[in-house]
Amino acid sequence: MSIKLTTQAYCKMLLHAAKYPHCAVNGLLVAEKQKEKKKDSHSTPILCVDCIPLFHGTLALAPMLEVALTLIDTWCKENKYVIAGYYQANERTKDFRPNQFAEKVGARIAENFSEAAMIMVDSTRFTMGCYEPILAIYDHHENKWKCRDCNADCFEDWCEAQKITSALLEGRSYESLIDFDNHLDDLRNDWTNPEINKSVLHLC
Amino acid sequence: MSKNVLIIVFTEMRDKLRKWREDNHRNSEQIVDVGEELINEHASKLGDDIWIIYEQVMIAALDCSRDDLAWTCLQELKRQFPGSQRVKRLAGMRLEALEKYEDASKQYDSILQDDPTNTAARKRKISILKAQGKSAEAIRELNEYLEQFVGDQEAWHELSELYINEHDYGKAAFCLEELMMTNPHNHLYCEQYAEVKYTQGGLENLELSRKYFAQALKLNNRNMRALFGLYMSASHIAASPKVNATVKKANVKYATWATNQINRAYQVSYARCLL
Repeated sequence: MSIKLTTQAYCKMLLHAAKYPHCAVNGLLVAEKQKEKKKDSHSTPILCVDCIPLFHGTLALAPMLEVALTLIDTWCKENKYVIAGYYQANERTKDFRPNQFAEKVGARIAENFSEAAMIMVDSTRFTMGCYEPILAIYDHHENKWKCRDCNADCFEDWCEAQKITSALLEGRSYESLIDFDNHLDDLRNDWTNPEINKSVLHLC
Repeated sequence: MSKNVLIIVFTEMRDKLRKWREDNHRNSEQIVDVGEELINEHASKLGDDIWIIYEQVMIAALDCSRDDLAWTCLQELKRQFPGSQRVKRLAGMRLEALEKYEDASKQYDSILQDDPTNTAARKRKISILKAQGKSAEAIRELNEYLEQFVGDQEAWHELSELYINEHDYGKAAFCLEELMMTNPHNHLYCEQYAEVKYTQGGLENLELSRKYFAQALKLNNRNMRALFGLYMSASHIAASPKVNATVKKANVKYATWATNQINRAYQVSYARCLL
């Protein structure tokens, strides 16, 4: 029932938070659609392969979130992905608990994907070196969100994730990160971030 | 490098800083990069501009945790403008950046003792409340402030955001109404108002949101949020079981129109991408 993150997913989440240090940011995580649902598939973790940064600033408004969910859902279907999680970094560094809005969006995603996770970014531990994972992962159990310990096991390859995320932060790659807000400002801005994906692959 | 190239580089940097100042851009890392070099290498060429640049770079430095640079700028400003309230406020902001909120608050109180109408100091005090997560108090203080300074648009906007974060959409809408009244041609306020109304929910609010998304589009036909918003609100109204056939038909028409516009906008942008 647990999710794991690839380097690309973790990277883009942190780059998004780094691009807007003075704002709240949020986004979605996507996983590859499983072909068969085995009865005892609870042991195999869901791998979140990518991250779609959504908004920065005022998060708690509905219309653009609905637009984003619709467009990204379509994109997911075309690419055999499924929306598997939601992440949020709050405006205040010291505030890393999920708020009502995060829980609502998380619940909405859980309606379509029962193993959906909600991830809160802990900005107090955010460093250029990325020495430790700075996420708090919440799983949905009986209408409540329960926090799970986040350590190296939550990553496909933590060493790689740490190295590459740190390298991209040093190189200020976050300046070219595109979120859905940027896309709405100029439709040419690509929220799939192909250039950053290339950089991640290049460093692997 | 030839002297001419150096001059060009210098003027470019100075103009960049000016543009960022005028646009109120919060690209602090870039401001620090450009500003620090300008101050260190070209201070003599800047003339009186240097003081406003010190202020701009100092604030950006605080944003980037560059207390060394912020301190240098502050000292220069203190030396040039001793006893200035404006510089005192900057000193207060530095204390805020160091999370010394009590000291910062005292700094602003001393400004207000000398000048009770100093709006900057009052707003900084409210920012401290916000930074400490005391949203209810920040909202209360900001409301009191706006009773006195009813024309402060930045404050109305800040208040609308505070209300949105507390999910008090009704009050957020009221703030945006104030902004729309004083800025009837601002498409952004119209569009944000529409988003708040949409979020509030219910058929009446949806219809209002559709109207204001449309109004935002009229003011700026390239506002994609307004276009998407028009599509979403019209679609939801059309799908509502509470509307009659005429209203449903009209909204289906609006939604279809919006879809076509959206598709066209994407086509245009893809074409521009290929250029």
